[in-house]
Amino acid sequence: MAGFLQQVVEGLGAGAIYASLALALVLIYQFTGIVNFAQGELAMFSTYLAWQFTAAGLPFWLALVITLVVSFAGGMLIERVIIRPVEGAPELTVVIVTVGLFIFVNAAAGWIWSFLIKDFPNPFPEGALTAGGVSVGYSTLGILGVVGVVMGLLYLLFQHTKIGLGMRAVASNPGSARLVGIRVGWTLALGWGLAATVGAVSGVLVAPLLFLDPNLMGGVLIYAFAAATLGGFDSPVGAVVGGLIVGVAETLAGAYVGFIGSDLKIGVPLVIILVVLLLRPRGLFGRAVVERV
Amino acid sequence: MSELVVTDLVAGYGDARVLHGLSFIVAPGEICAILGPNGAGKTTLLRALSGMVRGRGSVRLGGTELTGRSPDAIARRGVAHVPEGRGTFMPLTVEENLRLGAYVRRRRTGVDADLDRIYTYFPALKSRLRQTAGSLSGGEQRMLAIGRALMLRPRLLLLDEPSLGLAPLITRELFRIVRAINEQERTTVVVVEQNAHLALGIAQQAHVLETGRIVLSGTAEQIRADEQVAQSYLGYRV
Amino acid sequence: MSESAEATGSPVTKESGGRAARRWRVPVHWRPLVIAALLVLACSAPFQLVPFRVFQFTMVLIYAVALLGLNLLVGHAGQISLGHGAFFAVGAYSAAIMLHAWDAPYPATLPVAAAVAFTLGLALGVPAVRLRGLYLALVTMAIAIFLGPLLKRFESVTGGPMGLTLAKPEPPAWTGLAEDQWLYFLTLAVAVVAFLVTGSLLRSRVGRALHAIRDDQAAAEVMGVRLSFYKTLSFAWSAMLAGIAGCLYTWVIGYVSPDSFGVTLSITLLAGLVVGGLGSFWGPLLGGLFVMFVPSISQSVNDAAPGVVFGLLIIAVMYVAPTGLAGLAGRAAYSIKKTLRKE
Repeated sequence: MAGFLQQVVEGLGAGAIYASLALALVLIYQFTGIVNFAQGELAMFSTYLAWQFTAAGLPFWLALVITLVVSFAGGMLIERVIIRPVEGAPELTVVIVTVGLFIFVNAAAGWIWSFLIKDFPNPFPEGALTAGGVSVGYSTLGILGVVGVVMGLLYLLFQHTKIGLGMRAVASNPGSARLVGIRVGWTLALGWGLAATVGAVSGVLVAPLLFLDPNLMGGVLIYAFAAATLGGFDSPVGAVVGGLIVGVAETLAGAYVGFIGSDLKIGVPLVIILVVLLLRPRGLFGRAVVERV
Repeated sequence: MSELVVTDLVAGYGDARVLHGLSFIVAPGEICAILGPNGAGKTTLLRALSGMVRGRGSVRLGGTELTGRSPDAIARRGVAHVPEGRGTFMPLTVEENLRLGAYVRRRRTGVDADLDRIYTYFPALKSRLRQTAGSLSGGEQRMLAIGRALMLRPRLLLLDEPSLGLAPLITRELFRIVRAINEQERTTVVVVEQNAHLALGIAQQAHVLETGRIVLSGTAEQIRADEQVAQSYLGYRV
Repeated sequence: MSESAEATGSPVTKESGGRAARRWRVPVHWRPLVIAALLVLACSAPFQLVPFRVFQFTMVLIYAVALLGLNLLVGHAGQISLGHGAFFAVGAYSAAIMLHAWDAPYPATLPVAAAVAFTLGLALGVPAVRLRGLYLALVTMAIAIFLGPLLKRFESVTGGPMGLTLAKPEPPAWTGLAEDQWLYFLTLAVAVVAFLVTGSLLRSRVGRALHAIRDDQAAAEVMGVRLSFYKTLSFAWSAMLAGIAGCLYTWVIGYVSPDSFGVTLSITLLAGLVVGGLGSFWGPLLGGLFVMFVPSISQSVNDAAPGVVFGLLIIAVMYVAPTGLAGLAGRAAYSIKKTLRKE
């Protein structure tokens, strides 16, 4: 039993990371209906920035704050410069542009920082909290805490500020949002900025567990896709719940299903995506959408 | 109270021109009805006025040129457009919808007072503040859309087919409220309506549109009195 | 909103797409001539070039076959696949396993690889066509990511992470060709057949049905196009062409490993096709040149340079020339002709 709980706890830790990247995906999807295939790469780039700042001698948390600010600005800039020209274009066009961004950012990071792996400092202390035979690493607790704080802040932003209200209005009906005087273009940019920031958090959290290299987020992205699909691509709450479920499911499958083991764990998100899309395409928390087929 | 002056307004979608040079003036505080058959360009006219459709020519509200500006910029200059159909923010609550109407107002003061004012016009909304807009009936959604437009404290209110799909009783109530709003707030109103009888009942003046041109203008009484017009353009006998 | 209703439509906006198509029609009369000239050039090339160049052009043809399949799906049917590298890998491994485990004669591997990829495409196509474009991209990408670990897992068959090393097809003595030339001609023959068959498929009612689906799915359905049938067919056919390309790859390289077919390959294929020209006749060939030569040229600058070039080019192409290089060439030809006519 304790062993099982142990696995669940570890799954939650992994799931929190998927949740944060899924949250970033959802933030953009909500406003634009775009799945940003470059989200993971943007997070990876942000993580390199954080690494660069710490390597320059800044204390970790200060480096993190600067990274988040830069990521926010970068996300907005990308929306204004790269996504804006294809706004309203057919889905295929937009997907291809984000794939182009994916390739570009991945290569740019390789160019700047090389493809050699780097050690990323772990902001959380070593060791673990043990209770009832289950030990929870401080690092897992830290990850859960950080993701919880990010969620809380987003909740406050969306539910209790005027900007958040405007953002929700744009997400639900851009045409009417324009008519009440909201600058929709800037709101979309804001969404990209927020997404880049939240994504950066996921990158910084995952980097100490893996090693930092330009392909850092390639694997995480697919889990985030699964999380967002499971939770519903238009539901931030769904993204987080989906992330945690995917994390736990993956860990349990790896631990208890002999055939899967640790090698084939990456099949878990694929199966989740397929099953959800075929059985309940809007996910657990998503709004029912009229399929435009 | 602002005067709306439209001069040689040309607008359309892509290569298809819908409006072929409209000119008219709406005096401050007046209600102007735009009548005409389907496809005459009535909705396009409102869209051109609110910037949803790019137009050429000139649209001036109280001396400010509006053509060429984006819809949100035009909204910030006091034009509230209630589009055809629902146009509400479905997943948001009624109160959030109304507060969004006041989005462009710099000062928060007066917003709560204005909310109360809207509730006096539309008491049905008050009991549903926490419900999502999507859960409202068609008539309530229309009321919500108009209420939201009023939260802007508009200088010009554009109403597109307020009666569409509503039961006659509700429609009459709605027009009574529009009249009351116009009288109390002195808001200039342009209303597009299929139901000419209703629209002429509250308007001071009216224009009849056909294939993108104004074919007849006059006071509401004049238009109503012209039986031939009534038959050929408005489709009903007086 | 009308904007979003078009969201599943063609990669080019309808307006500009129509215009591009009209412009493209002008050089079409020249096409047989151009093709004949190219074939003559293609047949004489291996006797003029050093073996390494011959190998490079063989690879161009292989990529072109894969892109031909991807073009059918993305360019003609408007479906997004970010996992075509997976079908490429399936074809490559089918051939490799046959050669390695059963000592099969290599000509036998081609139909088998094609059949395996086609079947897999069909099996995946049935659920996949129920997905909206975006989700199809997601699922195919997940498949491409999953394939690597899967290949590594079944080590006894696939050789695991080490892969399989194989003997390359020997040129028959009567041809008097060197190995690289023989492989080149084999690939050329397969590529020509693949282009001919797919071309005639596209000119048939299947092609018209696919274009109808791409341009307006709802309208196509109303017109009586059996959506799921044609979408599944295009998915399977396009998987088969990728599988054939994979089989050729195994012949030519003589080595397969999971890392050769990562998600990068899938993305590179899509990139090559976009740059070459979505939905155009020459797109796959131009894309093949691109996929082969851009990395080898730009790699001399930096390891990351190919990615930077690809990424920027894809975005730029989507902005200025959604019909890619082929479309640009077509437009150029059109405007030259127009200027000539004026004079």
